[in-house]
Amino acid sequence: MNDNIKSRIQQIMGRYPRKESALLPALMLVQKENGNNLTKELVAEVADVIGVSLSRAFGVATYYSMFNVSRPVGKYHLQVDTNIPATIMGAVEIFNYLSDKLGIKHGETTPDGLFTLSKVECLASCGTCPVIQVNERYYELMTKEKVDMLIDSLRKGIMPDLPVEYNWGTLCNVLLKNRGVENAKSIAVYKQLGGYKTLTKALKMSPEEIIQAVKDSQLRGRGGAGFPTGIKWGFVPKNTGKPVYLICNADEGEPGTFKDRQILAYDPHLLLEGMIISAHALGCKQAFIYIRGEFGWIAEILEKAIDEAKQDGQLNDLSIVVHRGAGSYVCGEETALIESLEGKRGLPRMKPPFPAIEGLYGCPTIVNNVETLASIPYIVEHGADAFKQWGSKAGYGFKLFGVSGAVNKPGAYECPMGISFDELIEMAGGYKGKIKGVIIGGLSVPIVTPEELKKGPGLKLDYESPAEYGTSLGSGGVMVIGEEFTMPEIAARTIQFYHHESCGQCTPCRLGSTMMTQLLEKIADGNGQEGDIERVLWLCNNIRGNTLCPTGEAYAHPVITMVTKFRDEFEAMIPKKA
Amino acid sequence: MESTFKIYINGKALETSAGKTVLDVAREHDIYIPTLCHHPRTGKAGKCRACLVEVEGLRGLKESCALEVRDGMSVKTHTEQIQEVRKMIVELLLSNGEHNCIACEKNGHCELQDMAYHLGIERPGYLLDYERITLDESSEGIIRDANKCIECGRCIKSCNNNVMHEVLDFGWRSDHMRVICDDDKPMGESTCVQCGECVQVCPVGALTFRYAKGKGPYWELDKTKVICTYCGVGCSIDMFTKDNKFVYSLGTEENWQDQTNKGMLCVKGRFGFDFLNREDRLDTPLIRKNGKLEKAGWDEALDLVASRFTDIKAEHGPGSIGFFTSARISNEENYALMRFARGVVGTNNIDHCARL
Ligand SMILES: Cc1cc2nc3c(=O)[nH]c(=O)nc-3n(C[C@H](O)[C@H](O)[C@H](O)COP(=O)(O)O)c2cc1C
Ligand code: SF4
Ligand code: SF4
Ligand code: FES
Ligand code: FES
Repeated sequence: MNDNIKSRIQQIMGRYPRKESALLPALMLVQKENGNNLTKELVAEVADVIGVSLSRAFGVATYYSMFNVSRPVGKYHLQVDTNIPATIMGAVEIFNYLSDKLGIKHGETTPDGLFTLSKVECLASCGTCPVIQVNERYYELMTKEKVDMLIDSLRKGIMPDLPVEYNWGTLCNVLLKNRGVENAKSIAVYKQLGGYKTLTKALKMSPEEIIQAVKDSQLRGRGGAGFPTGIKWGFVPKNTGKPVYLICNADEGEPGTFKDRQILAYDPHLLLEGMIISAHALGCKQAFIYIRGEFGWIAEILEKAIDEAKQDGQLNDLSIVVHRGAGSYVCGEETALIESLEGKRGLPRMKPPFPAIEGLYGCPTIVNNVETLASIPYIVEHGADAFKQWGSKAGYGFKLFGVSGAVNKPGAYECPMGISFDELIEMAGGYKGKIKGVIIGGLSVPIVTPEELKKGPGLKLDYESPAEYGTSLGSGGVMVIGEEFTMPEIAARTIQFYHHESCGQCTPCRLGSTMMTQLLEKIADGNGQEGDIERVLWLCNNIRGNTLCPTGEAYAHPVITMVTKFRDEFEAMIPKKA
Repeated sequence: MESTFKIYINGKALETSAGKTVLDVAREHDIYIPTLCHHPRTGKAGKCRACLVEVEGLRGLKESCALEVRDGMSVKTHTEQIQEVRKMIVELLLSNGEHNCIACEKNGHCELQDMAYHLGIERPGYLLDYERITLDESSEGIIRDANKCIECGRCIKSCNNNVMHEVLDFGWRSDHMRVICDDDKPMGESTCVQCGECVQVCPVGALTFRYAKGKGPYWELDKTKVICTYCGVGCSIDMFTKDNKFVYSLGTEENWQDQTNKGMLCVKGRFGFDFLNREDRLDTPLIRKNGKLEKAGWDEALDLVASRFTDIKAEHGPGSIGFFTSARISNEENYALMRFARGVVGTNNIDHCARL
């Protein structure tokens, strides 16, 4: 490691209240400078510069999937996402095509050292799957032709620009108001469109007034759990003598979800304005944006926006640091996220204490989703009543949905809370072909069959109606599964994801997901045995609700519904004894 | 005065006070709740989920190792649902790795074995595909068998928070997760100082003492509480012996908060007592008579020393006598000897070896 890198690491350390927080960005930097590979020697040097034990640094380096430790990768690391939304949008064919074309399998590198091929998990690009991440760059809506173009170009040493057309739409014109405006991500354009006016207004309000407005709006967290935001803010203890931290959760890890990036990449100042107002309300002087590691280019957009806002005098005495994760779904869970931000393995903490009382560095901390924070300016500007013009007591306001799978226009849509499921599907261009099932709130919620959808008053997308259909709103990632897929293969791929992501610290999740994966793969491959289905259900029922963090629940519940609602398909895969 | 209140465990009213966990109270009253990741000296961890209990009025099962008691709390520890979850946990752990108790050093005091015994599980119903990990026999005193590890994290916490050597951590994740020394070095090549704290807190046979191997199963050993003779700290040791021969030492766990060593030991207290087993070890004073060392009683020996000191002092003056004390005795004993040298013998010739 040369002195230049060392001093850059020291610079990163200076950004954080505690230097250990620099561990992830430092490892990321060193890996990048070393041709996308991390060696034991480099990990040891980073540990030394930052002043943490070697075991801790190595534990961190091997925890996150983006660090290539003792697993060298070629010049171009082709990472094909094959998670459920990707699979139902044809990613497996793309993977196989690439594999044949390059003559290598998952995890292998071509003899010339040019390409490494990997199957990876959801990249928060589900509406534009199949997606291939090449080193830090996304190539979306891939077809075989585009794969040919990509490989030809990479062989010449050029990262090509390949065209992508995104589908999106809005019925509320708040969160996606600037989505179609050219360069809305620059502060000049954002201000021309009226940006940062609400901040001026908010700074004249007292923190209590703002918190009250958020409480009155009944805004509920858009990260998946739906906890009332104003109430959460009210938990922050006063006068503890400790700083208060605000963390924006931009991990966007839930498969099927690609909504936050619509704000992050196209309207970053909307998020910043929301964060500055929220920080003012919370008495916070140091805020963070924890962004998933794969979103490297979006992290740069955010950093630039923060610089602009600072130059423009919008930040006042608030500092906002963009912190990149490094490949871990569980780090979207707020306490794991906090651990990760502290430069540790992303292991969820036991609750209580809740982060609002004891969070980052043991201090009061509010973690909110991107969409939640981006909703704040509207509430402060127009008041709680204006916010409540949309939706009902089952959930107010506007909400972003991502639709992927078997629809004609997969994409991101901003709709009033409580919009009917059919209307959303209509916006997304309607179903493509016959449907086997839908998952409406990200992969962690139970699947609903087309027959169930036809029953009752009609599914509405809010915090109450989905419960009547045995599911929940989750993050608003809607996946439409076409008829051509079998449920055992969907279930097996689902559990593979959670198994890959399990942080490993609690027994039921670590080994339960391992056993479920082995059983469901066996069944999907036609090698199942009598009793296997019951064993899967027994595991689900005992894992559910009994793990340290909600991840166990997040897969046990959907898998139960896949197995029970489509039991015939599973039974049919088990060879009968003669 | 601390205010006390009652909680109910399985319907039985038990007097207790704030600040304790449900597990603490259960243990005080000999109610068995299985635990794997909790250890009194590493605290709650919430990882194994073995200790889950049902609490009236609370949704879902709760970790008894972390749950603080509240006035009137009503807890059930062995419902059908709880037992089923525990069965799953044991099945999962037994289905992964190699848990053959027969020749295991931990046979008879293994927390996983206890739990399986209480649940009546002899073998798991399903075996996972599992890749065997080679034994780590690289270090002087400790054998690491990762195939028996249940990833409770106790060794890691004790290494980092108790003895603060910061050698251990977890590497990788999901079912690939395992305990690493430094950057996954063999223990003998790592910065490990062989204090053995990790072995002491390991609930299973994943970490064992090399020198104890095959010396006798747990139930054949005698435990004697002794004070370590190596230095003035005076660590309390539970010394395990068989047929009056030393087998291994543990820092005393009972009332560990009140011990100077808080249950920990250093490499000397841990491994430095094998000399006790030597045939040529002195067990009485010896007096040289006619050029030959002969066994003597303490009174005879001390009388001889006192009379010779008196003679030498009379003949050559106190300056001809010097005292040399040791770090292996306490401060008080060192002080007493200093007073004896200066006040009784009348010499300033007193020094100390200052190391062990
Ligand atoms: C396994 C898991 C993954 C999660 N991933 C995310 C995520 O990617 N983004 C997010 O905002 N919240 C995620 N959450 C929810 C967070 O824990 C937290 O509830 C949320 O960020 C709070 O923000 P909100 O109240 O604004 O929704 C996840 C939760 C779990 C259990
Ligand atoms: S359920 Fe347990 S093992 Fe799974 S992610 Fe949460 S804490 Fe980690
Ligand atoms: S070696 Fe022992 S103490 Fe350490 S994690 Fe494994 S089972 Fe727990
Ligand atoms: S980005 Fe492909 S599944 Fe989410
Ligand atoms: S002992 Fe309580 S969770 Fe392990």
